[in-house]
Amino acid sequence: MNEKAISILYIDDEEHNLHSFKASFRKQYDITITSSVVEAEQFMETKDFCIVLADQRMPHTTGVQFFEKIRTKFPKPIRILITGHTDISAAIDAINKGEVFRFIDKPWDYTYVETAISSAYEIYKTREDLKQRNMELQKANEELDKFVYSASHDLRAPLMSVLGIVNLALLEEDIKSQNEYLELIRQSVKKLDTFIINIIDYYKNARGVPVVTDISFEELVTEVQATIQYLPEYGNLTMTTDIDQTGVFQSDVMKLRIIFNNLINNAIKFQDKSKPDPYVHLTVKSTPTEAKIIVADNGSGIKESDQDKIFRMFYRAGATNSGSGIGLYIVHEAISKLGGEISVSSKIGQGSIFEINIPSILK
Amino acid sequence: MKPLLNFFLIDDSAFDLFIYEKLLIKSGITESVRTFNSAREALKHLANHGSTLPEIIILLDLQMPDMNGFEFIDEFDLLPEAVKAQIKIFMLSSTIDTRDIEKAKASPHIIDLLPKPLEVNFLKKKLDM
Repeated sequence: MNEKAISILYIDDEEHNLHSFKASFRKQYDITITSSVVEAEQFMETKDFCIVLADQRMPHTTGVQFFEKIRTKFPKPIRILITGHTDISAAIDAINKGEVFRFIDKPWDYTYVETAISSAYEIYKTREDLKQRNMELQKANEELDKFVYSASHDLRAPLMSVLGIVNLALLEEDIKSQNEYLELIRQSVKKLDTFIINIIDYYKNARGVPVVTDISFEELVTEVQATIQYLPEYGNLTMTTDIDQTGVFQSDVMKLRIIFNNLINNAIKFQDKSKPDPYVHLTVKSTPTEAKIIVADNGSGIKESDQDKIFRMFYRAGATNSGSGIGLYIVHEAISKLGGEISVSSKIGQGSIFEINIPSILK
Repeated sequence: MKPLLNFFLIDDSAFDLFIYEKLLIKSGITESVRTFNSAREALKHLANHGSTLPEIIILLDLQMPDMNGFEFIDEFDLLPEAVKAQIKIFMLSSTIDTRDIEKAKASPHIIDLLPKPLEVNFLKKKLDM
């Protein structure tokens, strides 16, 4: 029980019962006691309890009546009734009606109470876990729905473009212009391929088992640079790097590669061709505890109203040349999986700066 | 002989603008195609020059960043009646999502949803040509 202690509320009109209970269990559980049902309800308003114990025989309100009253308003805590032998039929009735989970007869015995509390807590925890899982599932389903919708578009659109070009090419008598059509088909196929690679990255990131190794940022950046510098859209962009790594930094190299790849590719894609010296500058400062990565460019920039939306799934900012809107979403997912943070500052027409902080993962 | 039609193409894909402009002209259905790579830009054009425009057929893409096809329709609805009367809108999209298809069918401003790639003969039939 080294996690958070089980929170218990105990209501009994006899003060000495309350105190002996607290004395016996206070080391084990987080206990709140009161002799008033009114006060008990007030406590429940302000604090989440896992288990509520109530004495059956109290003046004005019985334990069962109290449970009936709080049951709909506070359905989460597990209810346990404490009762003397004379109340046994009331207790059985309460159990059968579902008002209480267990009853403990008086005078109670330490181990018996402990067992009752453990099994009550198990039920409480199972229910809470189930609720949590349900929420996660719901979120996953919503995401999947959105995913299927947008993915079907991003997979079909380039294919339909290819088909359109083929139809057009078939109408063309001039053989020479066929090459132009082939070039368009090539670009469209590339676009489709990029999207499929992104989807696979996303999947690996979301479901794959992270592999933590020692990271050399120098190596990683060189590797990423090698894959991009021959891209036709690279143009006359200048990429400079400033990597300062001291000591051993540990992380998941695959996720880092996804992050570098997407951010640098974006800087290339959204470079401002009207500027004489388009650049992207990558800074990495890594210590054994954390790494700070900055990707700065003088590209077209991001509208202020878009800046908080660009990390959403399938959000596409900018009308021309934009991709499917999945790249930065994957980046964001990867960074949060690594326990890090990303922020952006950008001015339209001037450029963008992405700043990332990632802690080293201790094996 | 019927006068030639005027087309506006609205699509964020520079590809598709290129393809369908060529296709429409090659098919002989029109000699006048104007392309817009954003719905907002097209809307601005209609708002500013709507009253002086001839009859126009718009082929409107659905999934576009910033303003999508349906959002364009919502804004289009607010234009003066005289401008709207001059314009026929077809949605041209690769969507196969039933919600999109139903929404397009339900819209009073969208004559029909044409699947990509555009089949000019299909369009001609829709225009009673």
